[in-house]
Amino acid sequence: MSTSAHSHHDPKMRVEDVRLITGGGKYAADWNFPGQLHAQFVRSDRAHAVIVAVNTEAARKHPGVKGVFTGADAVRAGYTKPPHSLTFAGVNGMKARAPERPVLAHGKVRFVGEALALVVAESAAAAADAAELIEIEYRDLPAVVSPEGALADGAPQLHEDVVPGNLALETEAGDAAAVEAAFANAAHITRLKLEVTRVAPNPMEPRACLVNHDPADDSYLFHVCSQGITTLRKQLSAYTSVSEDRIRFELGDVGGGFGQRTPAYPEYCALMIAAKETGRPVRWVSTRSEGFLSDTHGRGNIIEGALALDRDARFLAMRLEWVNDMGAYLSPASPGHIRNTTICMTGVYRIPALYAHYRVALTNTTPVSSYRGAGRPDIAYVVERLVSQAAAELDVDAAELRRRNFIPPEAFPYKTPTGSTYEYADLPGVLDKALRLADWKGFPKRRARAEKRGKLRGLGISTVIENSGAGQAAKDEVELELDAHGTVVAYTVSKAQGHSHETTLAMIVADALGLPLDRVEVRQCAPGKQQLQGNHTGGSRTTVGAGSVCHLAALKLIEHGRSLAALDLGVEPSQVEYAKGVFRSRESGRSVRLGDLAKNGAVSVVGEGKFGSTFPNGCHIVEVEIDPETGTTEIASYATVDDCGKVINHTVVEGQLHGGIAQGAGQVFGEQIVYDPGTGQLLTGSFMDYCMPRAGMLREISTEEHPTPSKVSPLGVKGMGESGCTASLPALANAVVDALRPLGVGHLDMPMTPAKLWHAVRTARKGGN
Amino acid sequence: MAKVEIKVNGVKQSRNVEDRTLLANFLRDELGLTGTHIGCDTSQCGCCTVHVNGRAVKSCSVLAVQVNGADVLTIEGLAKGSKLHPVQQAFSECHGLQCGFCTPGMIMATVGMLKDTPNPSEEEIIHGLEGNLCRCTGYINIVKAVKQSAKMLRGKKPAKAAKKAAPKKKAKAAKKAKKSKKAKKAAKK
Repeated sequence: MSTSAHSHHDPKMRVEDVRLITGGGKYAADWNFPGQLHAQFVRSDRAHAVIVAVNTEAARKHPGVKGVFTGADAVRAGYTKPPHSLTFAGVNGMKARAPERPVLAHGKVRFVGEALALVVAESAAAAADAAELIEIEYRDLPAVVSPEGALADGAPQLHEDVVPGNLALETEAGDAAAVEAAFANAAHITRLKLEVTRVAPNPMEPRACLVNHDPADDSYLFHVCSQGITTLRKQLSAYTSVSEDRIRFELGDVGGGFGQRTPAYPEYCALMIAAKETGRPVRWVSTRSEGFLSDTHGRGNIIEGALALDRDARFLAMRLEWVNDMGAYLSPASPGHIRNTTICMTGVYRIPALYAHYRVALTNTTPVSSYRGAGRPDIAYVVERLVSQAAAELDVDAAELRRRNFIPPEAFPYKTPTGSTYEYADLPGVLDKALRLADWKGFPKRRARAEKRGKLRGLGISTVIENSGAGQAAKDEVELELDAHGTVVAYTVSKAQGHSHETTLAMIVADALGLPLDRVEVRQCAPGKQQLQGNHTGGSRTTVGAGSVCHLAALKLIEHGRSLAALDLGVEPSQVEYAKGVFRSRESGRSVRLGDLAKNGAVSVVGEGKFGSTFPNGCHIVEVEIDPETGTTEIASYATVDDCGKVINHTVVEGQLHGGIAQGAGQVFGEQIVYDPGTGQLLTGSFMDYCMPRAGMLREISTEEHPTPSKVSPLGVKGMGESGCTASLPALANAVVDALRPLGVGHLDMPMTPAKLWHAVRTARKGGN
Repeated sequence: MAKVEIKVNGVKQSRNVEDRTLLANFLRDELGLTGTHIGCDTSQCGCCTVHVNGRAVKSCSVLAVQVNGADVLTIEGLAKGSKLHPVQQAFSECHGLQCGFCTPGMIMATVGMLKDTPNPSEEEIIHGLEGNLCRCTGYINIVKAVKQSAKMLRGKKPAKAAKKAAPKKKAKAAKKAKKSKKAKKAAKK
């Protein structure tokens, strides 16, 4: 790791910490406007039904109520066509079938929790009371909550003619014929069917949104939890046809995002209708229960996989058959489920032939969108479970099988059979380090010791690579503004949701300018600076994109400052040297301080850049111990070696890794969104039913870095916000499967709860008797 | 409507509130103390933890009228001016927070925990944080922060902390120690 570049900044506390630990953070629900109204949504309690009538009369008469809005208002406003991003062609040129979704349901409801009316009132209590008075007459329709069920013949049709067979898109990647030929000649084929369960991202901050309409220019000002304004603004504009220049933001802190805070939700657009109609600011704060029902879910994929190997256990081909559950409507950020799984389909391995086939299904459930990794953990989970299962079937060491099939360092840049190009990875180097860190060879002894204690110990490994850093924006821009005190403000349109941008990006700028950290301030999505282009924060891209541009902008500021200083010093710019905030004439020795350049007004430069994907990679090795009497699993050890390029702030990187791993562990051991198959009711709609990770689940993580700089970014960084999650799902699951394999337990799906494992152990032992 | 008088961060506050007003909403909406966060509606997440008469309480699980006359401390009142409370300092230094939403509740819960258990074991810390959810950190650095907080608090004012922090527990701990000595003796025999 290159510590040289950033070693002079070692902030003991993050810049953002002081306000966050003293209660000074300002989250979306902390904004208030004088004269604001409070919003309450009425949500469907049916999974699938025709809306026969909505009677709002009593609600309108309720004291304090200033407006009631329904699907008819949404249709009248024309807010019916949500943007989506499944814009690539499918099989035989098929285009995605995108159903309409009025921002308040009209005609039909298609999932429990779908908003169909909105009440605004002088107080939150009055709005809540009035919402209870709205009478809705439904005609129930049969519902389908499983994606495979939705694609079956005779399934209830969610969108009738628009999405026949509930099939929104059928698409493919790779070479089917090549795969077929390779399978015909295989010495061994490993087969597996897995579910990457549907989970709730659950950032701790519930959604909140305060909208103010300005009739003077028919514009809207949003205070909302967001992952950056550019994508949200574009989507809001697409949904409502309000031009982007009339949608503005003033954002404070964001309490977690994980992809779920990216999209333009229909609720936000409904609030726009109410704000315009009433002429008052309208404030909505979601409850957690509403969040479970209406915030987009993550993952939700069923995959059948097959891996073909030759006599020497070398991989020949892999075939994956996907069913992607998108919920009742296509969300604006759904392509990750397909695109990200094809980009890294080959994983870290040389697999000559690949083919994947996808059927994107609509179901009577909450729409699915990005969740930490957005497809990257899904593909890694399938590939890594296939590889570990193949190792077990062929009785080859799981690490050895991986090493044998790695893309060798000399093969980079490596063009994969699905058309992406991996920049570089030192896979054997990463693996060797991880095997040492985890004491791989010592496992049999530890397993034997555990057995004496009555515990089943398992060893799991994953070696993964993922695409990160690239974004949809044409370019990333950062503006640096220098004032007369010599303070530099960096303006970005990305937005941290816990990522520490105010610290990390400031470190990058301070480093390039040779300034102390406290002379640089990062302002994200600031009013007046919202014309800057750039990506929102997601896909592990901010340090690669905005971070690299911070560096480039600082260099640009030095060059611009050099010419200004040259004028002051009466010399040619080439004769001016810059160091640590001071421009000095080589000849006269006279100098000008950075701040002096701004004495007659701020000096500003805009840096820009466009960056492709970087490919962080790593190896996670886990040991678990299962108590066969209770089915509970303890994570006994967790070791990671990651290559996320040059590291700017080790503490922040480690924190991201911890969080990602914990979210992976949460999904492996407890988290799952469950719908009642008959009624389509959400059964895991609160923290009492949905098993969130708690303190103690993961006691310790041993981490080592194995950095190889990326050439994509001038900083050499690679995105790393999602790698912990991507690697932890398969590593943990493989460890559990390994622990139970000696008993003859063959297959296990997530979540690997105590009840499931206890039953698996019991069934296996009975079978053994 | 009901009239409540609550001392919050040392200042007496008197308001007329709807009967159903939760303490969390009273603090946020009536007093503008938005450092107390609401992260769920089933009293699971602990984001809204404050102190009522010196005890850590989830402010979403009590009505404002129930704490009429009580002394409430919120995250805004924890630091002494610009001097951070050791628990606040430890959370920052250990990178025990990322997005910061759960943090005020975590910090208030930790301050409460360390009053009862000034020198907690890892198991006691995990048990003590059971009612607080965090989605960003994976908890490892939070547990680290609690350990560091305990150390800082003990190192700073050991006599006072021991005296003030639940003498009952201390007595219990002493009993335990005696017991374990006895047990050891018995084992030797």
